[in-house]
Amino acid sequence: MDTIKNELQMNSFDRVLDKLCLTPIGLAGLILLLILPFIPPFNQEYLLRWLIYCGFIAAMSVGFDFTAGFINIVNFGYMAVAGTGGYTSALLVLNAGLSPWIAMAAGGVSSAILGLIIGMISLRLRGIFAACLSWFFGLAVMGLAIKMVWLTRGPLGLRTPRLFETESNFPFYFLIIILVYLTYLVCKWVVRSKMGLAFQAIGQNMDAARTSGIDPVFYRVFNFTMSCAIAGVLGGFYAHFYGILTPDMMHTSKTVEVLAVAYIGGRGSLWGGAVIAFPFIFLMEIVRSTLSHLPGLNLVIYALVLILVMIYYPGGFSYFYDTHIRKPKNKALRYVLNGRDV
Amino acid sequence: MSKNILADLLAWVRTAAGLSMVIAIVVAIAATIHSGPYLLVNTVVTGGMLALVATGLTLMLGVLNIPMFAHGEYFMIGSLTAYYIFTPISEFILEHPESWLVTFGPLLAIIGALLGGAIAGAISEKLVFGPLRRRSTDNWVMNSFLLTVGLSVLLINLHQLIFGADFKGIIGYWQGMPISIAGAYISLDRALAFIISAVIVVLFYLFMTYTRTGMAIRAVSQDITGAEIVGIDIEKIVLLTISLACALAAVSGGSLLFMIPSYPSVGLEPLYMAWFVVILSGLGNILGAVAGAFMVALLKVITVEYVGAGWDFVVPSALIMLILIFKPSGIFGSDVRGVLDK
Repeated sequence: MDTIKNELQMNSFDRVLDKLCLTPIGLAGLILLLILPFIPPFNQEYLLRWLIYCGFIAAMSVGFDFTAGFINIVNFGYMAVAGTGGYTSALLVLNAGLSPWIAMAAGGVSSAILGLIIGMISLRLRGIFAACLSWFFGLAVMGLAIKMVWLTRGPLGLRTPRLFETESNFPFYFLIIILVYLTYLVCKWVVRSKMGLAFQAIGQNMDAARTSGIDPVFYRVFNFTMSCAIAGVLGGFYAHFYGILTPDMMHTSKTVEVLAVAYIGGRGSLWGGAVIAFPFIFLMEIVRSTLSHLPGLNLVIYALVLILVMIYYPGGFSYFYDTHIRKPKNKALRYVLNGRDV
Repeated sequence: MSKNILADLLAWVRTAAGLSMVIAIVVAIAATIHSGPYLLVNTVVTGGMLALVATGLTLMLGVLNIPMFAHGEYFMIGSLTAYYIFTPISEFILEHPESWLVTFGPLLAIIGALLGGAIAGAISEKLVFGPLRRRSTDNWVMNSFLLTVGLSVLLINLHQLIFGADFKGIIGYWQGMPISIAGAYISLDRALAFIISAVIVVLFYLFMTYTRTGMAIRAVSQDITGAEIVGIDIEKIVLLTISLACALAAVSGGSLLFMIPSYPSVGLEPLYMAWFVVILSGLGNILGAVAGAFMVALLKVITVEYVGAGWDFVVPSALIMLILIFKPSGIFGSDVRGVLDK
């Protein structure tokens, strides 16, 4: 009853915003991201390239958090799954002459199948064992990509055509922002429905969830399949943006990058990783390029931040935001931060 | 009496543990007959090293419930310490070929690696695991896992930052004629590395079984509250366990320096392999880990021999996934529960 009344009180702007899973400040952030490449320091191509990488990690961390934050299983082979999508897409373009756009979708499908398999075979395992299984799966897939030289050219990598036929990075930037948002939107819609409750129940206490009539088999497999499909499409984007695809992309250290961003952003929030990725990865890239005589310094900072967050603030940025920023006294400010219905 | 033993033996062979061990032995013998005894030698040397790393990992998992992702980095610390101790020693040996250091210098380096690993373990307990243990409320396994992921990235990149990314290797520890056993020539280094690892594993087993401290460690792994009630100082045991586990990995790295030079990410391969072992043999089972280590080593050597170099991630991980599907608790058994178990 209450919710219906609330919905009636909302004006149409708020209702649309609610359907799009955005708060006013979220909308402002999205608009800021969209106009960012026109603001002077960021309109240079190399900065834009970094921003695109930020966007890629942001979208990946949303997809990763969809599994890790909800059903509480760390998919440690996530980048390998994305790489499978990327390779499928690149090979379809190179060998079958498909357009990169269709091939990207096909990459998503192939990754979804991989996710289905991982989801099915990890059913008998819980927590860290399932993480290990997906990790081994990722290692095996990476090994295949390295060794199937006749198909993937091994460590030499594949030269892939880019999605847009320009040298400029602008269209890619807008595409990745749209992909970040779409990923977030799709995940959020699923999480908002009854399914999200089921996911959380499974993640928190599998036996209790089963007792309340939730079938963990379906939900776990569904979750894996969906997050892997997202990874596949993003992997296709990666392949057709950089123009070169090597098995390095599937390495565990890349998964660690996504994982770190997702956890620093806050598990179980979906938006935390996406928000934190832009400043964080961007700063790391600045450190890496300005202090290039100290190789590895950016990753040292990276690891230190992850360790400190894990010890002192395991909730991450989204928890910080929820407890300290979200509930101001001022009514207008509260509307900006939360939208209408809270 | 003897009939009873025979019946017991037959029953044991029919269990998963017995069956897999019999298969492993048969495969080892068949491969040795087919390609020559060097295969067996490789298996035994790799297996000995792997046994050290894997027992450390098992110890961490069994006692502290930390799924250690940074264990390979202690392997790296060990090999680095051994390198920096042995380089001046080898220069000294070149000038004074008759000195006692010719025989005992390498031992000094390996003992240095052991101490280096133990100290590094103690420092990481004080700085990282201790604070997490005092602050952690729930989800300990996942949090500590992510913490070790951060630790791994940190140590790899600190190595790169301070010591550089180049290979730091030595020609060999002991100069001498290779030993010939049944037509296979084994270099003195390999033989001694295996003997060192065998001695350490045996000493470690005796320590865990017969000394008071070893019993205390096992007690903590079984029931931490119960151990506290009978007056075991948990903090001390935890510190000891971590430095012991890290020292085991480090001594393995130190004694294999002649085979594997030290570079930042040298620890990743032993880490993968040790995780294979731990998952294969089940958790918290030291003897199982030793047996599993030789099986995984055999698997790796045979894959390299018959399938080709570079496939040694694909085939073992595929096989281990198969085993996990049918026997999720590992072949030597321990309690793991999945979705499908009621």
